[in-house]
Amino acid sequence: MGADQSQGPRVIFHIDMNSFYASVEIAKDPGLKGKALAIAGKVEDRRGIVVTSSYEARAQGVKTTMPVWEARRHCPELIIKTPDFPLYRSTSKQLFELLRSYTDTVEKVSIDEGYMDVTAALNGIHPLQLAKNIQRKVLDALHLPSSIGIAPNKFLAKMASDMKKPMGITVLRKREIAKVLWPLPIGEMYGVGPKTEAKLKHIGVQTIGDLAQNNAAALVEKFGVYGERLYKRANGIDHRPVDPEAENTYKSISQSTTLPEDTTSDTVVRKVLSILAEKIADKLKQEKVTAYQTSLMIRYNDWQNITRNQTVKQPIQSKDDISHIAGHLFDRHWDGRPVRLLGITVTALEELYKATKQLDLFSYQADVKKEPLMDLISEMDHRYGEGTLRSASLYKKEEP
Amino acid sequence: MQDTADQNQETSLAMKFSISKDKLVEGVNHVMKAVSSRTTIPILTGIKINAGLDGITLTGSDSDVSIKAYIPLEEDDEEYVSIEKPGSIVLQARVFSDIVKKLPSDTVNIEADSRLITRITSGSSEFNLNGLDPEEYPRLPQIEEENIITIKTDLLKHLIRQTVFAVSTSETRPVLTGVNWNIQNGKLDCVATDSHRLASRSVAVESAENATYRNIVIPGKSLNELSKILDDNSGEAVSIVITESQILFKAKNLQFFSRLLDGNYPDTDRLIPNESKTDIVISTKGFLQAIDRASLLAKEERNNVVKFRTLSGEVEISSQSPELGRVFENVQAEEIKGEELKISFSAKYMMDALSKVDSQDIRISFTGAMRPFLIRPVGDDGILMLILPVRTY
Repeated sequence: MGADQSQGPRVIFHIDMNSFYASVEIAKDPGLKGKALAIAGKVEDRRGIVVTSSYEARAQGVKTTMPVWEARRHCPELIIKTPDFPLYRSTSKQLFELLRSYTDTVEKVSIDEGYMDVTAALNGIHPLQLAKNIQRKVLDALHLPSSIGIAPNKFLAKMASDMKKPMGITVLRKREIAKVLWPLPIGEMYGVGPKTEAKLKHIGVQTIGDLAQNNAAALVEKFGVYGERLYKRANGIDHRPVDPEAENTYKSISQSTTLPEDTTSDTVVRKVLSILAEKIADKLKQEKVTAYQTSLMIRYNDWQNITRNQTVKQPIQSKDDISHIAGHLFDRHWDGRPVRLLGITVTALEELYKATKQLDLFSYQADVKKEPLMDLISEMDHRYGEGTLRSASLYKKEEP
Repeated sequence: MQDTADQNQETSLAMKFSISKDKLVEGVNHVMKAVSSRTTIPILTGIKINAGLDGITLTGSDSDVSIKAYIPLEEDDEEYVSIEKPGSIVLQARVFSDIVKKLPSDTVNIEADSRLITRITSGSSEFNLNGLDPEEYPRLPQIEEENIITIKTDLLKHLIRQTVFAVSTSETRPVLTGVNWNIQNGKLDCVATDSHRLASRSVAVESAENATYRNIVIPGKSLNELSKILDDNSGEAVSIVITESQILFKAKNLQFFSRLLDGNYPDTDRLIPNESKTDIVISTKGFLQAIDRASLLAKEERNNVVKFRTLSGEVEISSQSPELGRVFENVQAEEIKGEELKISFSAKYMMDALSKVDSQDIRISFTGAMRPFLIRPVGDDGILMLILPVRTY
């Protein structure tokens, strides 16, 4: 797999849906078209932040992660909708089915973006024309706007799709990178987060071009393998194949939440961990995978983060398993300072049908008890659609 | 080097004897079972040799297990040892054991001087070793020999073999790394479990009336070592003495001390199902061989899982691995009673259990796909094996 297989030039598309959640809402209710729309979490507590917004809202200064009250100040006529994830997921599924009708080498990166290796699918069609066809088809069939980047590799395609929005198509050739890519501020480079950005600026790297012309050895020394990768990408080199299986090999599932207030209360922590664990367990069930590693992130009120993890031999899938391990990690590693944010990540995932769990003499009763209930839930889902039956705790009002 | 001893006139003889090489090698091999190279007490890397007026005693210990091997002056009219000067010395166990095995003659002479220099001669070979001070060697626990329990050697070895394989190898619950012994009314019950499977064996023992011991947990490692050094063919019995923190096994010319594990062993009786929904009787050997074949496609990282289901008059064993392929095999059952059943379990645990059973047929009692099931030899109520199934999703 990987680098050396890529013989000859490739044509890679990166397709990125424009303000996906808002666009899906507009597609569902055309009355929203042309209006300032924001998708946001709950308005009443601190989690009420803008997840995404329509271009009309953005034009008036509404930004992602902005609290709702602030967004309203910028744009008084803003329409707020709470997210409808099941709808977004089913729309995303249709989108990728459509993309796969062009080529099998489609890699889903997230709910609203993916890569396509169209090298073999071109058949004499000009890449630009194929991109136009795909963009048109997505708009006609799903009423969703998208942007497509066309380049010889994934990194450049990703950078290209970001250049013209909405409904843009950008071709980024390797010979153009000095002119098009290098003037961009380093913070806009895919793969450079705020922490790396600060570190790079500290060593005088302001633009992608500064990085590309930096001393490679010095970057490796400072940033390790990651530094080498960034250096190569800034120079337009990226050999990663488009991997249709990537979606199935989920690397991790995470949930985190900023607490409504900083806390040192064990009860509050347990409750939050239990809610996060439930969300992860739901996601695991939905993706039909199971995990062997759990990590807990604690952010203190001074923004210091710690992450600790634990690996187990038998697969974990249930909320109880996850919250038990997370609680255990919290007990072992919490230093007593007020907690601002808690996050749980599960990794080392395995597809459920492959997973086996050796039962334990002292705890098998828990598995016995769950068995008939799980059977019932999956049967009801099967018959009447997903989410027909859910455990009662999911319906409880989430108290701040 | 030849004349070292002669040059130092101030040194005096501390110990001197000659011994049959075979007897010495046998004794050293026994006590070596207790010697660990990774000990925190330096002197315990050595073997203590004590020449008494009645014979030679060798001692090895890692402070959890201590073994004493005794070589008498003579036995069955054969002379093994001749003592010239009684005394003691401690010699590095590894090197001493390697040396004695390779000595050229049937007789070995060992003498130590007051500076702890030890001369070992055999035939034309001579070794001079630096010894350690025997006064620094820890004293073994003094055990009051009350309430002695007596058991035949072969029976003891048998019950160890039938239980110790099921102890836990993980230190998360230390008490499960031992075998739990309970003695009451002349009956010894042994239980071992690593929480995924359990092995239990009951035997009759000779004991003083009312000798009752509860919650005796013997480290699995100790029992394994004990079993290795007990002589299979000796028709003799082993005497067992139990104290608060130690257990002593006394066989002919051999004493084996083991520390007991702290902590309460869980009440496993409560966890053993006493009803069943599906019962099968099947040939032990036929079933074991079929499981063994199916296990060829079962992967360790996937809990060695094989699938089992009842059909009419026979059972089906299957296994598959996405990488390797699949296997199916039907085995004729002597008897199948009760509900139909599909269950998955670890081939390894099943083979471990079946290989410890000597009877021709076994009875397996299931109570459901997610519950522990029992394996008993037909015609022997003293043995019970339990296995927890593997859950598949």
